[in-house]
Amino acid sequence: MNILEIRNLHVSVQRKPILCGVELALQPGEIHAIMGPNGSGKSTLANLLAGREECQVTAGEVFYQGLDLLSLAPEERARAGVFLGFQHPVEIPGVSTARLLKEAFNARQRYRRLPEMDAIAFRDHLGAQAGKLGLPADWLLRPVNVGFSGGEKKRNELLQMLVLEPHLAILDEIDSGLDIDALALVAEGINALRDPGRATLLITHYPRLLDRVAPDRVHVLMGGRIIVSGDMALARELERQGYGWLEEVAT
Amino acid sequence: MNALLQVCQQQLLAADAQLPGHDALSIRRFRQEAMQRALQTGLPTQQMEHWKYTPTRWLTESAYAFHAGGCVGLDPEDLKALLVARGQVHHLVFVNGLLSLPLSGLDGLPAGVQVESMARLARESPEALEPWLGSDVTGADQGLAALNQALWPDGAFVRLASGVQLSQPLQLLFLTTSFREPIVTLPWSVVILGEGARAQVIESYATLGQGDHFTNARTTLVLGQGAQLDHLLLLAESDRAHHVGSVQATQLGASRLAARVFAVGGALTRHELHVALAGAEAECHPDGLFVAGGRQHLELHSWIHHLHSHTRSQQWFKGVLDGEARGVFNGVVRVPQGVREIQARQQTDNLLLSDRAEIAAKPQLEIHSDAVQCHHGATVGSLDAEAIFYLRSRGLDEECARKLLVQGFIDVLLQRVQPAVVREWIARRLNSGEVAS
Ligand SMILES: Nc1ncnc2c1ncn2[C@@H]1O[C@H](COP(=O)(O)OP(=O)(O)OP(=O)(O)O)[C@@H](O)[C@H]1O
Ligand SMILES: [Mg+2]
Repeated sequence: MNILEIRNLHVSVQRKPILCGVELALQPGEIHAIMGPNGSGKSTLANLLAGREECQVTAGEVFYQGLDLLSLAPEERARAGVFLGFQHPVEIPGVSTARLLKEAFNARQRYRRLPEMDAIAFRDHLGAQAGKLGLPADWLLRPVNVGFSGGEKKRNELLQMLVLEPHLAILDEIDSGLDIDALALVAEGINALRDPGRATLLITHYPRLLDRVAPDRVHVLMGGRIIVSGDMALARELERQGYGWLEEVAT
Repeated sequence: MNALLQVCQQQLLAADAQLPGHDALSIRRFRQEAMQRALQTGLPTQQMEHWKYTPTRWLTESAYAFHAGGCVGLDPEDLKALLVARGQVHHLVFVNGLLSLPLSGLDGLPAGVQVESMARLARESPEALEPWLGSDVTGADQGLAALNQALWPDGAFVRLASGVQLSQPLQLLFLTTSFREPIVTLPWSVVILGEGARAQVIESYATLGQGDHFTNARTTLVLGQGAQLDHLLLLAESDRAHHVGSVQATQLGASRLAARVFAVGGALTRHELHVALAGAEAECHPDGLFVAGGRQHLELHSWIHHLHSHTRSQQWFKGVLDGEARGVFNGVVRVPQGVREIQARQQTDNLLLSDRAEIAAKPQLEIHSDAVQCHHGATVGSLDAEAIFYLRSRGLDEECARKLLVQGFIDVLLQRVQPAVVREWIARRLNSGEVAS
């Protein structure tokens, strides 16, 4: 069974059609990359998969591990193992990352009828993941994303992914704003979750992250559809030539 | 005449001899003059400037009775949640207006700290009270304060000698038990810190039961030169109760007052803070939070009088309103002519959780001097939809997401409360008011 299967998906935002006929399938263990010009609808697709209400599905279907994803509320999707790393992570004043993750982790445990983790065990689990990303100890106690730099926010998204261990991770420009060392850590984090039970959808503008995670497929989203798919060679071609040469295909 | 005024006047006539301090001419005269003022001013009405948002009909419509005070068969267990962890604070418990010694605990008070019943003090050494009788900072429109001055039956008297430090917090719990007939209580407490003295005083108001009653409270704070007081007020009476109270603080030079109020209870709760900064380098830090739901009406008022040059005030008031609740914040900063080098900051931030809730937040600066640094700001907003989606995308349901965001909103003020045992107790009391649970 595919982890994610998107069939003929049409989505409008504020009555404006953004996606028109997206087809995509991720098999277990795969990492796919989506590239495409600004405004082509990459984030719209990511947000739609996470359940954002503003994204109106006008046609098509989405299956996640065989479940009708569109019929689930955002929190149900998350508990079932879908994770969205936001292009623009939100600041949550007064709520620490530790608190958020404890609530999130235990909500998922309850959904799966697994025992909740007690405070001490969870703190250790959290500390271990933060250590992997080289994050300072007080990081977890700071309010989520408040006053974080662009790169720090992205690292915080990745930390959340590592703690929640999703089966489908959708990472929307997780690499933007990262310095070179952070990029390596983030790539390591993504690779750490690469296993036969999971899949990852990476949205990016640059091949530098892709070089480190070696995606199985690279897609180009343009004009509301995936107009061409290939491997890393496609990403390199785009880096060299931009999107202009694809415009004919798109229309 | 208004029924409440009538009842009060009768009380003064009938119970005069039992009111503490009756044998002292100064106190007796003070009570009588206060009653005269109350009768002249009358009870507040919405025509009075500072009462225009406050519903006052309940004052004329409900019949509050006086009660002999004291407690019948109260089990210390009943009070457990209402007191900061036992053994970690000194506490005085007042039940229906009168001190209950069996429920109180003052073990291990350091030398130089006097904590006792105002009633006892007024009877046994009225001269110790005389200097503080007329020490209110308040101006006009104070008919209810005058009633308190006329009729207070008890309260706490706290005095720290110069240089004395109270290492454990002192809690004053004012508890009203519901009766079939709603009662009025009028506690007056006085806290005096000598030069360089330091203390934390927690004043909390609660109801046992769900009934209506009326608390008309007054607290006088006096901070000597260089004294430091952390005064924390928790207003958490029954959702049918009415509470009007004021804290009156006078600060001498280089003293520092943190005045924190957390208001969660009451059908109507109105708290006024009046601070007179009366010496150079005196500073006050008023913080306030109200969390209101249902049809509650909660008000916080502050009047900061910068009477002396080189004084500072820094205020942060927050409100959270759900349901059809109404909130009022009115903050007056007054700097008279000729007073210089003042720093005054005031911020109020409010969160509306329902489109039927309403807030009136009004900063009022009355600055008659140029040498003043003054900042003020007011915001009103609702929960951030982006933040709710973000939390839901992590697996939190909408209700949990909203709760977490509300907790996050009030967290800043909560985190300023020290020590942790007091902060955690306040957090629990806020939780039992549900909005922030
Ligand atoms: N709330 C909205 N109202 C109107 N238009 C919107 C809204 N949100 C997104 N859009 C439009 O949808 C289109 C797709 O936006 P989207 O954010 O999905 O692009 P993207 O491919 O992620 O771009 P980028 O590479 O810049 O991140 C854009 O034209 C954008 O302006
Ligand atoms: Mg985008």
